Order: sequence, then structure tokens, then C-alpha cells
Amino acid sequence: MRTDSVNYMGESPPETQGQAGTLTPWEETTVVGKPLPRVDAYERVSGSAVYTQDIVLPGMLYGAILRCPHAHAKVKHVDTGKAAKMPGVHGIITDSTPGANIPWYHGAKGAMSRLFDPHCRHEGEEVAAVAAESPHQAWDAAKAITVEYERLPFVTDIEDAMNSGAPPVHEGGNRDGDSSVYQRGDTAKGFAEADVVLEETYRTSFEIHTPMETHASVAQWDGNRLTVWDSTQGVFAVQSSLAESLGLPLSSVRVACHYMGGGFGSKLDLSKHTVIAALLARMAARPVKVTLTREESFLCVGNRPANIIKLKAGVKKDGTLTALELTNLGSGGAYPASSSVGYLVRDLYLCPNVHVDETNVFINAGTARAMRAPGFPQCAWALEQTMDALAEKIGVDPVEFRVNIIPTVSQVRNNMPFTSTGLKRCLLEGAKAFRWKEARERPRQDGPIRRGVGVAAGMWGWEGETVSTAIVKLFADGSVNLNIGASDIGTGTKTVMAMVVAEELGVPLEKIQIEYADTGTTSYAPGSGGSQTVVANAPAVRKGAVEVRNQLLELAADELKRPVGELVLKDGAIQTTAEPIKKVPISDLQILQRRQMIVGVGYRDRGPEGKVALPFVAQFAEVEVNIRTGETKVVRFLAAHDSGRALNSLTFENQVFGGIAMGIGFATTEQRILDSRQTGKMVNANWHDYKIPTAMDVPVDQTCISIDPHDKECNNTGAKGLGEPATIPAAAAIANAVYHATGVRLKQAPITPMQMLSLLAQQQEGGNR
Amino acid sequence: MEKEKIDAAQESSPGITRRGFLQTVGIGTLEIAVVGAVAPAVQAETRQRGNLVPLTLKVNGQRHELHVEPRWTLLYVLREKLELTGTKPGCDRGECGACTVLIDDRPRYSCLTLALEADGHEITTVEGLMHGEQLGPVQEAFVQEDGFQCGFCTPGQVVAAEGLLRHTANPDIGEIRTGMSGNLCRCGAYGHIFKAVQRAAILRK
Amino acid sequence: MIPWFTYSRPNSLKDAVKQLSVPGTRLHAGGTDLLGCLRDGVVAADKLVSISHLAELRGITRTGNGSVRIGALTTLTEIAEHPYIMEHYAALSEGASSAASPQLRNQGTIGGNISQRPRCWYFRGDFHCLRKGGEACYAVAGENQFHCIVGGQSCFIVHPSDTAPALIALEARVRITGPQGTRTLPLESFFVGPQKDFTRENVLDAGDILTEILLPAPAANHRSSYRKVRARGAWDFALAGVALSVRFSNGIVQLARIVLSGVAPVPWRVREAEKIVTGKEIDDETASQAAAACVKDAVPLAKNEYKLHLVRGVVEEALLAMKQA
Ligand SMILES: Cc1cc2nc3c(=O)[nH]c(=O)nc-3n(C[C@H](O)[C@H](O)[C@H](O)COP(=O)(O)OP(=O)(O)OC[C@H]3O[C@@H](n4cnc5c(N)ncnc54)[C@H](O)[C@@H]3O)c2cc1C
Ligand code: FES
Ligand code: FES
Repeated sequence: MRTDSVNYMGESPPETQGQAGTLTPWEETTVVGKPLPRVDAYERVSGSAVYTQDIVLPGMLYGAILRCPHAHAKVKHVDTGKAAKMPGVHGIITDSTPGANIPWYHGAKGAMSRLFDPHCRHEGEEVAAVAAESPHQAWDAAKAITVEYERLPFVTDIEDAMNSGAPPVHEGGNRDGDSSVYQRGDTAKGFAEADVVLEETYRTSFEIHTPMETHASVAQWDGNRLTVWDSTQGVFAVQSSLAESLGLPLSSVRVACHYMGGGFGSKLDLSKHTVIAALLARMAARPVKVTLTREESFLCVGNRPANIIKLKAGVKKDGTLTALELTNLGSGGAYPASSSVGYLVRDLYLCPNVHVDETNVFINAGTARAMRAPGFPQCAWALEQTMDALAEKIGVDPVEFRVNIIPTVSQVRNNMPFTSTGLKRCLLEGAKAFRWKEARERPRQDGPIRRGVGVAAGMWGWEGETVSTAIVKLFADGSVNLNIGASDIGTGTKTVMAMVVAEELGVPLEKIQIEYADTGTTSYAPGSGGSQTVVANAPAVRKGAVEVRNQLLELAADELKRPVGELVLKDGAIQTTAEPIKKVPISDLQILQRRQMIVGVGYRDRGPEGKVALPFVAQFAEVEVNIRTGETKVVRFLAAHDSGRALNSLTFENQVFGGIAMGIGFATTEQRILDSRQTGKMVNANWHDYKIPTAMDVPVDQTCISIDPHDKECNNTGAKGLGEPATIPAAAAIANAVYHATGVRLKQAPITPMQMLSLLAQQQEGGNR
Repeated sequence: MEKEKIDAAQESSPGITRRGFLQTVGIGTLEIAVVGAVAPAVQAETRQRGNLVPLTLKVNGQRHELHVEPRWTLLYVLREKLELTGTKPGCDRGECGACTVLIDDRPRYSCLTLALEADGHEITTVEGLMHGEQLGPVQEAFVQEDGFQCGFCTPGQVVAAEGLLRHTANPDIGEIRTGMSGNLCRCGAYGHIFKAVQRAAILRK
Repeated sequence: MIPWFTYSRPNSLKDAVKQLSVPGTRLHAGGTDLLGCLRDGVVAADKLVSISHLAELRGITRTGNGSVRIGALTTLTEIAEHPYIMEHYAALSEGASSAASPQLRNQGTIGGNISQRPRCWYFRGDFHCLRKGGEACYAVAGENQFHCIVGGQSCFIVHPSDTAPALIALEARVRITGPQGTRTLPLESFFVGPQKDFTRENVLDAGDILTEILLPAPAANHRSSYRKVRARGAWDFALAGVALSVRFSNGIVQLARIVLSGVAPVPWRVREAEKIVTGKEIDDETASQAAAACVKDAVPLAKNEYKLHLVRGVVEEALLAMKQA
């Protein structure tokens, strides 16, 4: 809460001095890279996996939270009298409850409100909470609390909020500080040198993460010690914020998250309901579970900001970019939260002159949280459509155009070299596999159904936190316990970490037990998000496993009276490489039988010295547009990813398809709709009116290509991140395909039939069909 | 005609676990189609506010005697009273499919089914697709094809797939997409889910 | 969470009618719409009367003369998959199979589908709108992209049902049993627009139970279809749709019914468009004229002008597809 866990825009934190790491990525692997089913698949398909929402503790109560129904209001009076007398009720807390007056922090700005702040700056702010014997009783009681509100003027439209007369969300106006400006070179000079200059305004919509498992926390006190099971991407972030909120040492707050049902960034930070669960549990002296309803999940646990992006771009006839100028007006909601989008413009393509100017404005709506590649799909929406338009203007194929302006250095990092960039290969090999040329050159049809193909590229801009520790324990029978602090949010973290151990120690996956994401028992890992999970954890896991192996070999050398250099670990046995050849199963080693366990600790390797490791992507979409009805169908999709080494090709592909699905949602259906002109309330806070893709909306014909540049420098596994890049260019590729199909530029996301029909009608009136 | 039809309905309804869903019975010049399993008649009773009412549920072949509030959904009773937490709540309003169970072989949302409406029917949850500790064929197919990510939608997907395959043993890809279109996956594992259903069709044989 | 109610499940139609005549009771068929409404506080109920055990309200039967009776409790799946319906009343089977999701179709009944409450997000949401006894229709000045373009007055809902337009096109009649006895009426006159009464969508009064739907025997050379356009590929209500029922003779339209979904507070029959195609062959020109007639009287709200294009497009497409079929 106080720390911005995904400060993807900033510099990486300083590298901790871990063990001197000399491991380089494997040349050849026997386990890593294979398409293996997940190690926890059984639990997930059998129904035996216990998610936070499934936890039931003896005596556990259920919490319900009463929320402000208005976009902007002051709580004048809360009457809990009737609710307190209702059956099953064990506790009610409001702002006036002793101990509930907890300040609530918003990034660097400090505390800007409190837990039950009587000044409610958006619909869904917390007003009171109840704990009762059953969820029904809790909700009945919450509804019986009467609240007197003073309704205040509100503003929920981004542009309106900038007007001088707009109702202030906070004292001091609606601008969240000064605009942030980035400048390199001289854009005026750049535009003067250009043969073609294009300028266009693109708009994106607020998206809501809506993971399948809504946020949930179970809190239990033992005296002054608190245990919280939380559906979170980062147990350590929740632990530290929670400890701070409650004034407890870290050792008194244990946060655990085992199976968890998705997050997409909305579960990186501590949420108010978690603190509320803890307070209710303390008040009632019983464990309390708070589960957010689906409707609540739309209002108060984050969103992807909407942006109004003005992008001006200049290009020479030979295809060199001369200048890029981006102005962004976005809103992170009612409290400080980034709505920045500028990264791709600064770093994806070679361009000497770049100017980025970004303004964040407060509105009376829920606060943003990092959502899968925060800022990037929005920027790709604008940049990649612009690149498409530039290519058309200078008469170059969009793939070719991009291929010629790929940097090998990070221009935002003073031209620090990338450890590898496979973007060119992504574009070229992707185009080939997609049969791009053929599809692109197909003549545009005249019938009511129009087909088109589009391409878009992207990269992710954050290397991740570089701190993590893994503990690998070898049992006396040669099986292993792996201890990591990371949550497995559905990306297959446990599986790939186990594969890394299996690669080093030759243990089959079935013989690896995994303990994870529990501040009480596991080592530290940063939150699982921002495509850092593999990058932060796998190198540490590998080091831990290598540590175990080294110790084992040394012990064996003693016992077998052979030099360490002549021993290898293979197939669960110590083998000698020199005559006389000997093979001793691990479990036969006397020393191991006596000690029972060897423990290896691995720290995350240093990040690459003087270089930056980032993933790249090119994606290709084919669409069908029905120009009579405005329906757009994505019929084919291909994604070519340079995420370094794919540690498990099966889960890698799955992750990519998932990113595409989310991109399809961004491109075609997802948008938060607020009743801006009347009440400021969200009208589509449910999964029927807020439409995420179904099985009918993703194409059957999907292909994932892993482009491995054999990066020797990124870290000791050769893997770069994947979760974010998978979704970054997807929507823009679709928009470009729609343009190819129809000649209509979709400036606004999503491309609904509503918008499509209006644009097609304008096009027809314009006569340029 | 009215009467004959009713008789036919009762005759053709042994009650539970009947796969033959649609039966056509010719009577003289009339052709009568009787659809759906008709649950055994229960005593009509007016249930009073404040009281729990008795209910017998047959879940995964086991009978459970319970007392419920009329407003309790089948989802709530399965999870909170029978401790069958494999069935997941994703929205509680018929908009996600995480709560899918089979009722007489057909996938339904347990969040929009009152527990009281489920008596006399055969309910199958994801737990009911297991053979002891062994995965059933549809579950096995989801493992092999990696048909999930976070897994929270998965019990619902698995049960929906089971229901689809009980009805259409060899679905084509169009039937798979349609059949699975009542189950959202926010992780977007659809591509692998399609493959899992295809494989499940083979493994089930 | 759904608020408290008591529950009863009578075994006879007569008893059900009697219980439902008491104020504060609500009829539960499949419950898919009702439970959502109760949960969201759209309607209140002291008591639910479930008709799910009235076996005589279930099933599809064909009489000697070929007409069809569909019990009100027949599920959408049963209708969508019924071979005879698929063959002779394609519009209905297409309407039923395009509604909601497989699970909802397995549970939702045809009676419930026709009688479901509107999906207007102000009506369903936490807004005290006119239809719920409030002062004003929020759609007038609000987010009205999904609202009606014709037939609205005071309230601007669209009727959500995908089966109702198909049934009207197919000249369905409905039978209703209530405290006063049994009556049969054309489905077309079952629906009530806001001009008449903005608190209800149909003629059902307290104690009324819709028991069955009657379809006339299929005629020779008759074809029907339902085409629905939605914002998402599945599990989504119609932005607009069209049910067609056409009788041909040597390629010439003898009789046509054109009923729109997603454009009006009731399924919207467009007689003028029907007239345009009648007596002619369907070709690009007639299709386009008929399509234009469908929106002639439409007055869009601030955010749904696209529906004018959409209705024209979908009607044109459906008519031309019917010609080709
Ligand atoms: C998420 C979602 C998406 C949906 N999408 C679509 C869609 O795309 N297209 C579509 O057409 N529908 C859609 N529906 C609606 C769905 O088809 C209906 O909910 C269903 O058909 C209603 O049938 P039921 O038996 O469950 O009705 P119930 O919920 O039991 O009843 C609905 C209403 O009708 C009344 N009623 C029911 N039966 C009778 C009767 N026999 N006599 C008198 N009154 C009666 C009830 O009192 C109640 O007011 C959707 C529903 C949901 C929840
Ligand atoms: S929980 Fe039942 S459909 Fe979502
Ligand atoms: S696997 Fe996460 S929602 Fe489907």
C-alpha cells in the first residue's frame, strides 16, 4: 500500500549482493522446456485445491461490507442499532469504532483517506462492516444499517475533470500533481525532417481485472498474532502493509496464499477488505472470512485506466522515424494511481526525437491498480495503429517497416544494450508462419463480410525486482522439498520452478514437494506480477538446487574417498567419471542417512551488468467484419514471442493464448460504463454487462511461436518474462486487421458493433468506401 | 389428450440418472413428445418464514438429509453445508459458469438453482467425476492438455465438458465451443480447453 | 444475497393459481430470471410459488392436425433441440438456441423467457427508476446505447426475449390460467408497452399462469429464421435481431411476418416491411426497402443511433439469406 509494488516506470531497485553467481544458462536441457502438465494439475481439476474462498475454520464468521452507493458523498450518520440486534451478528465496525480509524496510503502521496473515510470519493467506498454466523446473516445485517449521506457534486469523466469548474475530488483540484514529461532530442526538428507527419487521438476504455476468484481474506488471531489467508499475488507485500496498518511487527503477521484464482494485477496490494477481516476477527474473537461479491469486484479493487492519447509521428520516405510526440490524459481514479502509458513510444522503435507529456486526473471512480502490462496495451493501441498508418503512407509493408527500426539498445536507459532482442525474428518468423504476405495481398472483397489481417509489435519495459531467495531441501531418500515465496497465480510458477530443480538434481517432478507463498514459512519473493515471477525466482531456485548438488557431491567425495571433480549427480545417484566407475544411489550415502537433509539456499542472481533484459513480441490477427451489422470476429491469431527460453512450452503457450484472449476483450468488448451525466454510478458492474470474452470470442485457430534468442546474459536460466507481453499488442493487431478489412481506423477501444456501424456509416457518407 | 400426455410423462420418468432425455411416444394418431425428467411428486407445503425446511439431496450418488432456508442456493448448500468446495462461486448470478453442476446429466448453474428445487434430482459435482482418488477421463484430459491456468473456473469447465459429452459423445469444434460457451475463463485458457474437450471425448470411450 | 422468502411447490395448477393470487407471492419456473431479480432487489417477494412440479406444463406435443403445443415449463434446450421444431419452426429453435448460455437454456423455461423482466441496467441496477416506482427513466439522459429506438415513452427498455419475436412471427398463441379461468390470446397481444403501462411488460395479473404456447400447423413452402446481433459472441442479449416467417409460392412471397428484437419495449412487428415483401420475390431491392421500413418510425436516443444501421443491416441480411435458403 505504501510502496508502489509495480513501479514499472521507475528504475529497478539496487541489486542485492547475493552469492557470486557464475552459472550461465543451460546449453542443453532434459526437463526444462518440455511441454509438461502442471505439478498441481490434479488438485485443480479434481476440486481438491483449497482456494482462499474455500477455507472454513472452526468457529469462522462471515463478513459483509456496506459500501457507499454514491459517486461522491459525505457520511453524516451511521445507525447500526437495528443491525446489531439481528440474528447471528457478532460485530459491526464503522469509522467511529475504536481502532478502525486506520490511515490509508496511496503510493508516495501518503495517507489520503482512512479505512472507513466518511468522505466517500467514489461508489463502493467502505462505510461499515459486519461479521455474522452466516453470509446471509451478514448481508441481511449490512443492509439493515442505515446511513445518512450528504451527496456531493461529482465528476467521473476524464475531460470534464480537467475543467476549471469541475467538482474537486480532493482539495486542491483534480490534477494529480504536475504532468510528467520525458524528452529526448528535438521533436520540432524531427517533424521538420519528416516526409510524412501523422497526428491522431486515440481513446481507450477503463477495464476491470475481474479474476475468476474474487478477492477474499480469512483472518484469525491468536492473541496478538494474526494469520491471514489471502487471495493475493504477493504475500509479502500484503504482510508488510497489513503489519503497518495494524501497528504490528512483521513477525506477528503471517500471510499465506495457496491456490489462487487469478489476479492480473488487482491482487498485488493490500485491500481494505483484508484489514476489515482482521478487525472484525479481533472484535468477535473468532476467525472471519470476507469474500467480495462479483459486483464489489468491479468497484473497489482496481481497474486499467482509460486514456486519451494524442500521438504525432514523423517518418521519412526511407522508413526512418524522425519524431514521436505523445500526450496522455488519463485517470487512475479517485486516489493517486498511475495512468501513464508512454513507455513504448520511448523505447520500442529507433527514434532520436521523442516527447512524452502525461497528465493524471482524479475522478470520482474506483482507484486504478496495475492491470496486466499497465499502460502498455493502451500505448500499443495508439502507437501500433500509427505505425500501420505511417507504413501505408510511405507505401511499405507494415512488417517490413517495423523490422527496419528495431533498436538493440534501450533508448530510455541511455542506450543501455538489451541482453538480447528477438523482435526482428518475431516479426519475420511470425509473418512467415502466419502466411502474412499472402493474406495481406488478398484483394479486399466487396461483399458484406470483409476479411483483413493486421500486425502489431510490443515489448515489456520492466525488468522486475531482483530480490528473491529459494530454499531447496534434499531428503534422505533423494526426494526434494522446494520452498519459494511466490504465489502461483495460474501461470504455472510451481511447475516451472520444480522443473528447474528436476533439471539440476535429476529428481522426477513427482518427487518434488513445493511449499510456497507463506510469509510464516517460506523465503522472500516479490509479488507474482509484472512478468517478473520466473525472472525473479527461477535463477534463485536454480542456485539453490546447485547448492544442494555441490554439498551432496562434497559429502559424497568424503565418503567415497574420491575427488569432487570426479563425481556427478545423475538419475538419483552419485556416479564417478573416472575408473573405477562407481554408482551410489543418493539414499545409500551414509552421511545423508545421518543428516537426513541437505539444504541449499539460492539467492537471485545479479541482474545483467550494464545491460537490460526485456521480452519482445509480434502478433498477427485475422478478422472478419460484417459491414451490415458491425460484428467483428477474430478468426485467426498468431503470436511470436521472444521471452527468452520457454521453460515449459505447454504452459508458455497457454499463457500466450490467455494474453490474446485478454487483448480480444480490450479490443472488442470490455469497458466500464459510468452514468456520468446523472449519478456517476457504474451501470455495468456485473459479468453480463461488462463483457469478457467467451469461448465463442477467441479463435480456434491460434498459434504460439517461441523465438529463443539464446540469451546468455539475462539470468542463469535464459528466460525473460511472458505474462505482460502476451497481451500488449493483441488489441492493436486486431484494430489494424479491421482497418485492413474495411478501411476504417478504430481510434476508440473497444471496437463494438455500435462504433463499427457508426464509422462505416461515416465512411459511406464520405464516399471513400 | 391432456390426460394421456401426463400419464406418458409419468411413465417415462423413473426419476433420476436417466440419460435418455427426450422420448417420443406414439399414441394412436397423436405423437407425443415428453421431455425432461419429472421429479417424484412431493407433498405441497407452505413453508413458514424463519423456519428451516427439510430437504433431501442426492449428490454424487449419496443422499443427504438437510434443513435449509428456502433462499439458499444449491451452490451455497453444496459448498457450505456439504463441504463440496470443488464447485466454485464466480459471480453468484448466472454469468460465469464456475458453479456448474450436472442435474440429471445436464449442466446447470447451481448459483441460480434453489436447493429446494434440486430435490428428487441427481446432482453431480466435480468431486463426483472422480473414481476414488483417481481422476475421471475429462479431468485427465484437462491435465494433459493444460486446459486451465488459475484453475478457479476449472471445476465448472470440467463439469460442463462432462455434460456436453454425455449428450454429444463426439462433438465437432463448433459444438465444443457452443457447449463450453456458458463458462467464462478469465485466464483465457480457451484454446487449451477446446483441446481438452477433444481429448476427453477420446478418453471417455 | 437473496433476501428471505418462504417457498411452496403446489402439485396442481388450481392450487398454484390460488396461492399466486395472494399479494407478495411470485411465480418461480426455472428461476434463472427471478432469482437474479430478487438478488438485485429489482422485485421483492414474501413467498415463491414454484410451478416446477406441474408436469402438465412440460413438454412438446403435436396434435393430429399438425399444430404444436409447448408447455410453459419446457426448457429452451428442449425446444432448441427438438427435431420437429427445428424442421418446421426454425425461427423458434434458433431463437431458443441463441438465448443466454447452455446452462441457462437447460434450466430456463419458455414461459419464463417470454415473461422475463427487462435487462435495462438502470432497472436491474441500484437506480430507483420509473419502472420500479421511481420518478424518472434514467435512460433518457443516460447510458442509452442498448435502449429502444421505437415504441418507447416515459420508459425506454427493450424487450429481452429472443424467443418471443420468433413466436410472434410464427403466429403463436398463449394460454393463460388465472383466478378468472382460462383464456387464449395471440402472443402479439400478450405484451404491454410503456405507453399503456410502464410498470409491466405483459398482461399477466396476480394469479395468472401462462400454461402453454400454441403454434399453428406448419404450412407448405414456409420458412422461418431468427438472426441476432450481439456485442459478444455468446451469452449476450440482442443489440438487435429479426425473426422472419415467410410463405413462398414459386419464389414469390405469399405471406410474411417480420418481428424485431432489441429495438422496442415489446417484440416489434413491422407490418409495413411485411407489406413491402409480400407478393414479390426477395431481391436486393425489396430487402433493402423492407429493411428501411423497419426503422422508418424509429427515433434514436443520444447513444443508439447505430441501431438504425444495425436493424437495416440485419433485416437485409436475414431476408436475403431466406431467399437463398
Ligand atoms: C446471464 C443471463 C443471460 C441471458 N441471456 C438471454 C438472452 O440472450 N436471450 C434471452 O432471450 N434470454 C436471456 N436470458 C434470460 C433467460 O433466458 C431467462 O431467464 C429464462 O428463459 C427464464 O426462464 P425461467 O424459467 O428461469 O424463468 P423464471 O426466472 O422462473 O421466471 C421469470 C419471470 O417470469 C415469470 N414466469 C415464469 N414462468 C411463468 C409462467 N408460466 N406463467 C407466468 N409467469 C411466469 C416469473 O414469475 C418471473 O417473473 C438470460 C438470463 C441470464 C441470467
Ligand atoms: S457462480 Fe454461478 S454462474 Fe457464476
Ligand atoms: S483458469 Fe483461471 S479463470 Fe479459467
